[in-house]
Amino acid sequence: MSAPATAVPGAGAAAPGTGISISRVGYEYRPPRGRPVLALENISLDIKDREFVALLGPSGCGKSTLLYLIGGFMPLQQGSISVNGRIVTAPGPDRGIVFQSFALFPWKTVIQNILYGLEKRGLPREECRRRAQHYIDLVHLRGFEDSYPSQLSGGMKQRVAIARTLATEPGTLLMDEPFGALDSQTRTIMQDELLSIWRRSPMTVIFVTHDVREAVLLADRVAVMTARPGRIKALVDTRFSGAADSAEVVRSREYADAVDHLWTLVREEAVAAGAGGRP
Amino acid sequence: MAQSIEAVTELSRPADRGERLRRFVDTFGPFITVGAILLAWELMARQQIVTPFLLPAMTTVAARIGDDLISGRLLLDVALTLYRAFAGFAIAAVVGVALGLLIARFVTVRWFFDPIVSFALPMPKIALMPIFMLWFGLFDMSKILMVAFSLSFQIVISTWSAAHSVEKELVWSARSLGASDRATLWEVVLPAALPQILTGLQVALPLALIVALVTEMIMGGGGLGDTMLQSARYVDSPGVFAGIVEIGIVGYGCIAAMGLIRKRLLAWHQESSNGGTM
Amino acid sequence: MTAALMLWRALPVLILAALWETAARTGLVSEHALPALSSIFAALGGLSAGDLYYHTARSVGRGLIAIVAAIPFGVAAGILIAWYLPVRVLLNPLLQCLYPMPKVALIPLTIIWLGIGDVSKITLIFVGALVPIVMAAFNGARGVDRTLLWTARSLGASEVRLLWEVVLPAALPEILNGIRTAIALAFILIVAGELVIANDGIGHMINMWGEAGHYPGMFAGVIVISAVGFAADRAWVALSAWLTAWRQ
Repeated sequence: MSAPATAVPGAGAAAPGTGISISRVGYEYRPPRGRPVLALENISLDIKDREFVALLGPSGCGKSTLLYLIGGFMPLQQGSISVNGRIVTAPGPDRGIVFQSFALFPWKTVIQNILYGLEKRGLPREECRRRAQHYIDLVHLRGFEDSYPSQLSGGMKQRVAIARTLATEPGTLLMDEPFGALDSQTRTIMQDELLSIWRRSPMTVIFVTHDVREAVLLADRVAVMTARPGRIKALVDTRFSGAADSAEVVRSREYADAVDHLWTLVREEAVAAGAGGRP
Repeated sequence: MAQSIEAVTELSRPADRGERLRRFVDTFGPFITVGAILLAWELMARQQIVTPFLLPAMTTVAARIGDDLISGRLLLDVALTLYRAFAGFAIAAVVGVALGLLIARFVTVRWFFDPIVSFALPMPKIALMPIFMLWFGLFDMSKILMVAFSLSFQIVISTWSAAHSVEKELVWSARSLGASDRATLWEVVLPAALPQILTGLQVALPLALIVALVTEMIMGGGGLGDTMLQSARYVDSPGVFAGIVEIGIVGYGCIAAMGLIRKRLLAWHQESSNGGTM
Repeated sequence: MTAALMLWRALPVLILAALWETAARTGLVSEHALPALSSIFAALGGLSAGDLYYHTARSVGRGLIAIVAAIPFGVAAGILIAWYLPVRVLLNPLLQCLYPMPKVALIPLTIIWLGIGDVSKITLIFVGALVPIVMAAFNGARGVDRTLLWTARSLGASEVRLLWEVVLPAALPEILNGIRTAIALAFILIVAGELVIANDGIGHMINMWGEAGHYPGMFAGVIVISAVGFAADRAWVALSAWLTAWRQ
């Protein structure tokens, strides 16, 4: 079932200084009161340029924490992370992020939200508008340019958030359970759209999820994480040869096998974490 | 990972060293600054940078508070002020909560009181004080009623919205379990709305103290407000400063006591321990 | 709202007014204790009406100056306290002391420091209004969703821009609410300060008319300042709704 990841369209062999390199990363939460909690322990992972990697694990395993560390949102305590050869110290426009909670600026309209990042890059006004409109069309939101987020459905909000991030053309896309707050029909549609966007213009994607099927469907490679403290338990190739349409993939034997395999791995961890209860 | 507040500061201070410094400052910072302010006050007064009339030395003020305490005048003043504030507060709490629940429950009551309450709520009710003096005289009666009147509308509104926001499913469950109309109100709606009702009362309490002090300043009759205003009239600045410190402590005590009562009453209720303030 | 509905809504107030008028007219209540509504309204346009409006304007002017001055200071202080450690160390203890202090305790202090004129009253209202605004801005700034901040940072916002473009608008609903509290408190402080001691202003006039036994004038003063307080609150609520229209 595993074609080598280097076969990603448009991507060459992983040259040094490209992709994401995570080396012996550890992270401990220190709440103001109470004991420190070890969230991540000795994580090492290399992600090739334009690879789609899913971080899969039970709730509270620290997969989002790892994503935030790559984003540079939280200070790194142990180990190092570099993106395209540059050590991560702070957030930057080379790494776009999409959150489960959408994180749209509620006081800005759809187009103002998308323009925000573009204007920060100092592009001329006309160019900003042109690009914003392009990405609005890409996520099928034409006609909603001047709506406020509070007037949109969950799926539409997440489309805006994705368009806002894509518009600045980051080399790396970080996604923190982006479809976790959506109903299942909307989620399926959004998964298809994300895949088709990514196939047209591949970029490095790190996709955090606790949904096994979603991970298998979307990713080239799935990193399964252990329950707290989070470690990489297994790396599984989930690239299926030939299938272009996700409905076709879902019906395939390889897909079923991969889901089954990963589900067993994740279930062990969920049980270990206390019957999968949320912290 | 429910620590969004931590996260806000994480952004601006990436270093671990900063983290430890922040915690140190959060714990000891207030003492250091307050100490510095007190020290600066004493030095400025001692060096006569400001005339003693405008700024008496801290030690002078402290001695004054000590004298008031020994002579018993301070305790009497505090007792008088608290009596007026709490008597008014109690009346307002009973009337306000009862009316608030009735408004939430009965359409006719709502029809009658809604416009009156929403008209009276934003009024500066303290302006009615001369009328209260005219009607109820200069003694405790008018002061207590002034406090009660100033607070009532606010408590009605907060109780009403608290009762209104009780989940329908909860009320329906009680009904289907066989609770009567009245039992539902007393045994389900009231306890379920209690946290929000108490928040309303907590917000109203400082106002009780404010109104009690103002009534004392205007009508006299003893109490912290009266004593302090007398000091101002006789340009006795140590008295004024002593009054500010005393009132500050009483105000702080009231807020702290209310917080404790809330905790006792809401032992069943899971709420974050930091209730909105710092 | 149709006219009939408005009448239906206002009916309870009208009933109360009618009861008031009858009680006073029929002598059920003494004319001194409760002047008839009609004679109060007569006072609104009568001999002392010019005084009434002049003194109301004086009072409202003081409040307005103090509030307008307190808003930028309070908002800036609140956000900076939430954001920067040194500012928090410096200002938080002051705030901790001022917050539980009943602000009217400052009336005697402003009297001995600044006398009984405009400066004294405006300072009192300024300090009183400042505290709820600072608290609101602080809580609002602290409560900003971290994903919003992170998003803005990753889209390239600098720290200063972050405060202006994300923290301030995100805290705006809470700030507007805090200012509403400040306005209510300002009216209390205006009237209380003037009732205690003043040379002019509506609180002072209410007091004077009361002592002189000119009760219709006194009641008229109470009604005018109450109406102004009510109108100020409504206007602020409307402005707030307009400013945060994005919340739907």
